[in-house]
Amino acid sequence: MGEFKVHRVRFFDYMPSAIRAMAFNRQSERLAVARADGAVEIFNFSDNYFQEKVIPGQDSRAVEALCWVDQRLFSGGLNGEITEYDLENLKPRYTVAAYGGPIWTISSNNQGTMLALGCEDGTVKMFEVLAEKVQFQRNFDRQKGRIISLSWHPSGTLIAAGMMDMIRVFDAETGHATHRLLVERGVGASKSREVVVWSVAFLSDHTIISGDSAGKVQIWDGVTGTLLRTHLVTKWDVLALSVSQDQSSLVAGTSEGTVIQFQLISSTVGQQDKEWVRTRTFKNHSHDVRALAHTETAVVSGGMDTQLVVRPLLDKVEKNTQESSLRKIVFPHRSLVCCAKKAGLLLFQFPEHLELWRLGESEGHGKPGDSLTVKTKPEKLIQLKRKGEDHICCSALSPCGGWMAYSTVSSVRLYRLQYNNNNIGITKVSRLPKDLCSVHQLCFSSDSSKLFASSSHSSVIVVALNQQECTYLHTLKPKSSSRQPVHLLFASEDGKWLATANTDCEIHIYNLDKLKLHCTVPVYSSYPTAIAIHPLTSNLVVVHADQQIFEYSLEKKEYTEWSRKLQKLGLHSLWLERDTPVTHITFNSRNPAHIILHDMFMFCIIDQSLPLPEAKTLLYNQMTLRSVPEPERIRHSHAFKICKNFQHLLCVRLLEDHSLVVVERPLLDIMSQLPAPVRQKKFAT
Amino acid sequence: MAKAKRGNATSSSKMADNSDKQAEKFSLMLDSSDDEAPEEVTFEDSKTQALRSMKQALDTARREKELLKEKRRKRQELFQEQKKRKLLPADVLEEIDPTSSKKPRQSEDEAEEEQQKGDGEKELRKKKKKTRGKLAHSRILKGNYTVATLEERSMASFQQQAAEDFIQSRLYGPGSCRTTSNELLSLQNKKGWNKSAAVQFVKKDWACKEKAKAEKLKKRWIHKQHISSC
Repeated sequence: MGEFKVHRVRFFDYMPSAIRAMAFNRQSERLAVARADGAVEIFNFSDNYFQEKVIPGQDSRAVEALCWVDQRLFSGGLNGEITEYDLENLKPRYTVAAYGGPIWTISSNNQGTMLALGCEDGTVKMFEVLAEKVQFQRNFDRQKGRIISLSWHPSGTLIAAGMMDMIRVFDAETGHATHRLLVERGVGASKSREVVVWSVAFLSDHTIISGDSAGKVQIWDGVTGTLLRTHLVTKWDVLALSVSQDQSSLVAGTSEGTVIQFQLISSTVGQQDKEWVRTRTFKNHSHDVRALAHTETAVVSGGMDTQLVVRPLLDKVEKNTQESSLRKIVFPHRSLVCCAKKAGLLLFQFPEHLELWRLGESEGHGKPGDSLTVKTKPEKLIQLKRKGEDHICCSALSPCGGWMAYSTVSSVRLYRLQYNNNNIGITKVSRLPKDLCSVHQLCFSSDSSKLFASSSHSSVIVVALNQQECTYLHTLKPKSSSRQPVHLLFASEDGKWLATANTDCEIHIYNLDKLKLHCTVPVYSSYPTAIAIHPLTSNLVVVHADQQIFEYSLEKKEYTEWSRKLQKLGLHSLWLERDTPVTHITFNSRNPAHIILHDMFMFCIIDQSLPLPEAKTLLYNQMTLRSVPEPERIRHSHAFKICKNFQHLLCVRLLEDHSLVVVERPLLDIMSQLPAPVRQKKFAT
Repeated sequence: MAKAKRGNATSSSKMADNSDKQAEKFSLMLDSSDDEAPEEVTFEDSKTQALRSMKQALDTARREKELLKEKRRKRQELFQEQKKRKLLPADVLEEIDPTSSKKPRQSEDEAEEEQQKGDGEKELRKKKKKTRGKLAHSRILKGNYTVATLEERSMASFQQQAAEDFIQSRLYGPGSCRTTSNELLSLQNKKGWNKSAAVQFVKKDWACKEKAKAEKLKKRWIHKQHISSC
């Protein structure tokens, strides 16, 4: 496996933002998640829950509700604006003010023609969905008190609105309120407080289900306006509700962090009349569950603890398969850390700012496993606050450490860094080429003479950098007509190749000497999550969201022998069952047969010279190998060397001096900074 | 004015001169009672008396000088106050309109300062300069007021703030029965399979403030114990 000096970095204070809202698109199997900082993320549930797109947030945009209309995504926020997102260019397409104060909820009818908004001023506003925009149509009768939640009847003729202390049913045609359902307040001290109906659901049999701040899930008859059943599920709030497509199952999320399932079943065997019965309780969150989605096979929940949890319903999936395992998505599926290999610098990307750190140095040598004393401490060189309202979407640091760039949805900024002794100088490069305005990924060439920026329609802008100025060189365009954004960029060490991967799963290779497309790698059905080009052999290594590994020779334009062997034998089942994607690949300059890659829980060195593991062999065999006598080790060892010593990895890089940089962010650190959870009494504590 | 002059004259260097004057005064006092027979006064007594009176005179002179200083200072302060009051609107205007040039006003100020240099004492001038420097940065007014321009906020952002406050108060406000992350973590630790030390001990940089306070209290307690045992 090799011995490395490891920089164990734990000063990246990455803090994910709380999940505020989510919406699931059943046709495309995409989940949209809105975070508290205004960022919107798209997860692809048909491809291993991969986070395929991230639309960065904005200071003023507090997204409170999300809604899909066909393949278009809308959000409503507390700033009182409706936003439609451009999912191809990863930015808001337009915003429309609703003029009703903060928007609490947004909901579309089944036909996808209308959007209903619930506003602070007590109006339900109807917007017509047109091809290019949304247009205000009318207001419903104004009510006293804010509209917190909305739900359309599947027929599109009625709307239920959750308010303070009551639920109103509106006729969507006339806009008049037809029913008023009074919701009981909580008992005891909370009697004097208004009860908030956080969520409502209107079913096709005219049943209305509500979840409120008194901890009740109530089932109402929408025709007569009478209460049918009350389930007191928590002492705190019921914050979210979601109903399955076939309306036979319902989940409610609470402040306790539990998700409670109700099912429409007959309470005694053999009886015809069905009713809603509380069936299961899931406890996967430590904090409030603010958003829920009920898919065909699973319950997806998210909240203040920032994790996205996919909990499969075991009556819908086959047991003991990968599909039936619980998924927790904690870290983003892209790298937030940039490493200058030659200079030993790290760039950390936050939504608000960038941090540049110099790694520490250690004294002397030690046995494997020893921790060396730190001679010079790591030092924060620069904290750069972004300009403007938009959050940072990507950043890059050149390998020599002399250039730094970041991008928001509206602009790109490039900085020149100069180090003399202990001083550091930072100067902004003032004149950037005009084409460099909206980019999705940034990457420097290995000799820091070029900057690559991925732009719209999967094109890549090449910019030449020198001391005085930066000049536009060329725009590399793929032959395919893909409109999807590029999410991965990799420039080869020798400066000859540039590899790009877009969300259409296409990987294009450009020849930088000729500034031309060299070839396109055969499209594989799963997303590439990491790409890299070997510095010596010029083989492209790709890891996909379904954990498959491919090696492609750029010279021969075909898969390599090793890759074919790997595909024929198949990857080990334990490797395929890992639930976090590989986010980065590097190579070991001392041993060209080594490929280093990492996900959240481990890093792995694949030794291409060793035999591949058979299905029956132990995959994680580092400990057993150590106990086996020397001559026998060779017989047992295989290509996958996995190290789990460092936990919750954000980045693993190999520096020029052959030391390994490992950026850790233990989940405990994140958890200790979360807002207050509810106070629960546990027996015998 | 005469008083002032005398006050000024009594500097330590002119001690001898002063004592002459005192002696003269003393002799005059003696002269006033010439119709009575001269009482017998020992040389020692007269000497002490003379010295005492001289001391008194010196003291009064110093006091007068100090009083005068005080008065001048007060006057100076009053002037400054008046000037500040006059200046304030201009300052605010300048804040609002950043295009108006700062230079001419500053030079004006300097000119004024030059003028005042003539009659002000050196010490006072220093003080004044100091206050002026402070003034330029934070604009301290009389009392505990500072002037600052607010960022212009629209109606929407106020409403947004109100809505966020609503959520905050409903979820975290009074009656929401919340605990701390520390408590939650310790609960998890107690219920978990492998028990370890509490998070605040594992994570050294956590809850620094509380730790510092605890350290302080501990020191105080030790100190108290030490005192009582002695």
